[in-house]
Amino acid sequence: MPVFKDKQLMEEMFGEIWNKMVKETEFGSKLKENGISIYFVVNDPDVVMFVDENGPLFGEEAKSKIPVVTMKMSADNVHKFWLDKLNIPKALALRDIKAKGPVGKVLQVIPLLKPGKAMYPDYCKKFNLPTEV
Amino acid sequence: MRYFDTNINLSKEDILIRRSAREFAQDVMRPVSRELDAMTAEQVVAPDSPLWGFLKQAYELEFHTIMLPEYYGGQGLSPLQLHIVFEEFGWASFGLSVQLAVVCFPFYIACMTGDEKLIEPFVKPFCECRDGSIRGCWAITEPDHGSDVIAVGEECFYSEKMRGNVQAVLDGDEWVINGQKSSWVSGGTIATHALLHLQIDPSQGFAGGGVCFVPLDRKGVSRGKPLEKIGQRDLNQGEIFFDNVRIPKQWMMVEPDFYEPLLDMILASANLCMASWSTGLARATFEEALTYAKQRIQGGKPLIEHYVMKQRIFELFARTESCRAISRTAIDLNLNISPPHVEYSLWAKTQCTELAFRNSHEAIQIWGGNGLTKEYILEKLFRDARATLIEDGNNETLARHGGHILGETYPRSAERF
Repeated sequence: MPVFKDKQLMEEMFGEIWNKMVKETEFGSKLKENGISIYFVVNDPDVVMFVDENGPLFGEEAKSKIPVVTMKMSADNVHKFWLDKLNIPKALALRDIKAKGPVGKVLQVIPLLKPGKAMYPDYCKKFNLPTEV
Repeated sequence: MRYFDTNINLSKEDILIRRSAREFAQDVMRPVSRELDAMTAEQVVAPDSPLWGFLKQAYELEFHTIMLPEYYGGQGLSPLQLHIVFEEFGWASFGLSVQLAVVCFPFYIACMTGDEKLIEPFVKPFCECRDGSIRGCWAITEPDHGSDVIAVGEECFYSEKMRGNVQAVLDGDEWVINGQKSSWVSGGTIATHALLHLQIDPSQGFAGGGVCFVPLDRKGVSRGKPLEKIGQRDLNQGEIFFDNVRIPKQWMMVEPDFYEPLLDMILASANLCMASWSTGLARATFEEALTYAKQRIQGGKPLIEHYVMKQRIFELFARTESCRAISRTAIDLNLNISPPHVEYSLWAKTQCTELAFRNSHEAIQIWGGNGLTKEYILEKLFRDARATLIEDGNNETLARHGGHILGETYPRSAERF
């Protein structure tokens, strides 16, 4: 059974996380400084998210943007990734994550998301998601 | 000699990077490579070797971090910029190009993990290093296994009879490593850190492999003598021995459950480098031939004014442009998608090394007897080009691997990046 029961749950939760990261951590300024915007294409449930230094966009608004980096993965792998329980080289090698964009920028996304990973368990509690996977 | 870039949309930054790489290639890299080429393998790595000054200058200009992300202190060059730099380096010296790339290889792969336990103590100090004192190597090649280690898809690759020369066994929270890598480990005689391929589960043959990060000052590590060889003599290569070497569990970055696809990812990156450097080498031979053809008088006029010579010079130019077109296409694809489509890296490596070798052969023919003498660089370019047909997977083995991938995946879906 998927961790995220539906699209609305995922959009609501990540809407809050991205906004908090952009407003309260150096995430937004680092994205700008490094010239990075990210487009996530998630399946099961199907969600698309775009994030840059201005915050997140979802759905059609997200699709209209031209990102620097695109990442495709399942929602369950999104969850594992944010809990720091996903082996990135393994996920890439096995195509559990697929990325498009200059490889140097893709490699930068991993450390840039650290502030979000730190706050993610609290959001799991808030939205009743398991932290043991 | 400058070349016309068919990409007329290079940015100012791209052009500045090319200028910087070209100056270093012309003024530092090529002169040092010719000095090193004339030395014995032992002299190349001796304390008074010009190799050390070369590395120091390269590190001061931060050419050792061009493949690493800016976040960790790397240069974070775009795929096109990497190609531009690699071509200039390949023009100057294939062997030193390899040296400058392998120094960052263990750190590049460590970046992929995002693991702070590797990044803080190893990747960041490497990026900050300006004196050339932190140097990586890629330790994959084994004395009993040349092509075997990349024979993905062949029965032998999965056979328990295929016993690797380096084995790792987990003992509590540490891996214990025993065995030896072959004398072909590039930069192996001077490396301080290794990206080490080894066998973890012999029952799976080479599919039971792993890749770890090993500082080479660990107890039990020793080295062989640097290897004497005909080409790329400026590149030191040599054995590394492991005698009960212990590393923390978390330094094993790749284990058997994804060794095979990860091996392909590493091979794809290495082959892109080979193809880009070959473009520089092909260009160097074309330039030598063109310059000579304009100066050398035969039959009462410069060679270039002879009907057949015009054709031959054009062929050298055409092969050089083909190299650049192929290698840029492959790098533009495979450094913009993860995981890469390996067959395009294999295509670029096999084709560009063959084209560069043909150029070097033909340029010597144009130079005649002068091309055979040690007085000029052409014979070095020829020897260096010959080595590339075997280096990083001999071309026949790589072609087999490419055919295997095509059998499994062709045609790829446009949606599947």
